[in-house]
Parts: sequence; structure tokens; C-alpha cells
Amino acid sequence: MASESLLGRLGGYPAGAVLSHLEDDGYPASIRVGARWVPGTRDVLLDRVPPYAASWRGTATLLFHRHDERLEGLAQLVLKGAIEERDGVATFVVADIVTANGRSDTDEMPHAGAPLHMLQFYRVGRAAANTYLRKRGTPWPPIPYDEIARAVAGEDDEAPA
Amino acid sequence: MAEVVAAVDELPPDVLAALHGYYTCEVATVNRRGEAIAWPAVPYVDPSDGHITCAVSIAYPVKAYNARRHPQVSLLFSEPTGSGLPDAPAVLVQGTAAVAEVLDYPPDIIGLFRAVSRRQPDSARFTSNRFARGLFTWYLFQRIALRVTPERITVWPGRDFTSEPQVYEVRRGE
Repeated sequence: MASESLLGRLGGYPAGAVLSHLEDDGYPASIRVGARWVPGTRDVLLDRVPPYAASWRGTATLLFHRHDERLEGLAQLVLKGAIEERDGVATFVVADIVTANGRSDTDEMPHAGAPLHMLQFYRVGRAAANTYLRKRGTPWPPIPYDEIARAVAGEDDEAPA
Repeated sequence: MAEVVAAVDELPPDVLAALHGYYTCEVATVNRRGEAIAWPAVPYVDPSDGHITCAVSIAYPVKAYNARRHPQVSLLFSEPTGSGLPDAPAVLVQGTAAVAEVLDYPPDIIGLFRAVSRRQPDSARFTSNRFARGLFTWYLFQRIALRVTPERITVWPGRDFTSEPQVYEVRRGE
């Protein structure tokens, strides 16, 4: 069952949540909605559901994430479940919670200011990466760090023309 | 009624500003159970042809596996924090993804790394430090790219999802 402590953190995402659903044409689609957990239940009430998503029912997910102006202070979690209509209100019924950090007690991503959290992230991530590399069968080619650094330091082409 | 454009760079300037300027987008892939699951990622719009590149660590390859099995994906640009674009629209890009390990460094991958470096300046402490870089190579450099070719783009002005969206179809060569 979903962790109530994580569900209790949904209020920490003032920009709401990203509701995603698989459309009939095979493409996933996402929109932003308001989302409020009903304590003691698995229900998350959805508000500001736009016309675009008004017909969405059944399997869906809710992503909550945030970052600051320096792309730090990262936090994220995903609720898996389904959209149901109860008394005319679109309700997301939570079946599972997935955190990006692999933990069940916090939605915050590791950062240098929390070394124990960072160490756990390293251990879990490193083990998962080794699993990928074992399945891959051949070693990952050497990474030209200096060449990449020089290229990244070059002219910035990010702004649109 | 959708408006047809022949290339991404024919989209209105405010839409292009959001695609280029938002620090993150929400990338949705479809898993084996038919669930559409989104996660945040730093996007890079390649100016050469308008494809959008994101990348995941090999430690968390599920999204790449999803996209390889079910190439239809979507990217929602809806979070303007840090972009300096408070009034920019929300943009939903639906398209087809090509998935490949990042084993060389063409312009879109360098552009993506550059975007991360510029938007997340503290990350340089890791990428420029040999020790930290060695510890986190699996996260920083051993990555799998998703290159998304936009096909349908839905735009909500002012990120007002209750408004009637403008839809664009990208038909190359028309």
C-alpha cells in the first residue's frame, strides 16, 4: 500500500501534478491538474481537469516534481493508479508510489548537502548500472571527458533563432 | 482544427521560446502494462531538424526500454521555473522516439550536456572533479538518449489548460 508519509507530501508541489494517460491513437499525453490527497484514503482529488482530459478514465499516473531556479532542490514522485469518477468528481485512486530516489520515506533527490542520502543513491544507482552493463555484455567504451568538456564550453547555441 | 507546419522552427516564437527555454519537460513513455508514465528530464531542441533529445542514466533504463518497445512518447513543457518565461505557454509534444546509447558525442548530445551545465551550474562540481566524475560516471555520462521527432504539438497559451488549445501537426516536406 502507498506510503501515507509520501502522500502527505503532495502539498509541497504548488504547481500541481502532471496527469498522464495513454490516448486511443497510441500516444501518451500529459496535462497539469490540481491534486489533493484525502488523508486516510488512497484517493487524490483532481481539480482544474481541463477539457482536453475530461474523458480520461482508467489507468493513469500522476507525476509531482519541482526544482528551483538553479535546477537544484529536486523532488519527484509518481503515483500509479486509475482515474475514477465519484459523485461527479474526478478522483485518482492510488495503487502504488514510485520515487526517483528509490526511497520510501522521502521524495527529495540526493544532493551534496545530504551525504548519507547521496551515499545511498550512489550504492543503489551503481548496482543498477552494473546490472545494465552485465546484460549489455561488452564494456562501455572509454569516455573522452576532456573532449566533452571542451565541446560543452564552446559556443552556446541554445537560444532559438 | 490543426494547423500544419513543415518544421518545428515554423512554430510561433512563444512556443519555440518555451521549447528552448524551459529547464525541464515531463517525458511520458508507455510501459508493458499500458501505463503512460511521465518523469522530468532536461530537453534539448536540436536546431538542425527540431528533434528533441533527452537522456536517462543506464541505472534507470526503464523509460528507454519503454520507448524502444512503444516509440510513441510525449513531452509536456509546463514548468517555467528558472526559464525567465513566466507567461510562456504550456506545450505538449507528441512524437516518435529513437533510442540509442550515448557512445559518441554529436551536436545534440553536446547541446544537451551544455543545457544541463548552464541550467544547473552546481553540476559542474561533479563533472569537472575527477573523483566525483569517476564515482558518478554511471549517472552523468553512461546514458541512453531518446531522440523525439515531433509530430503533433498542442499549445495552451499562458499555461491555461482550461483554454482552447492550438494544435499543430508537423508534416515534414509539406
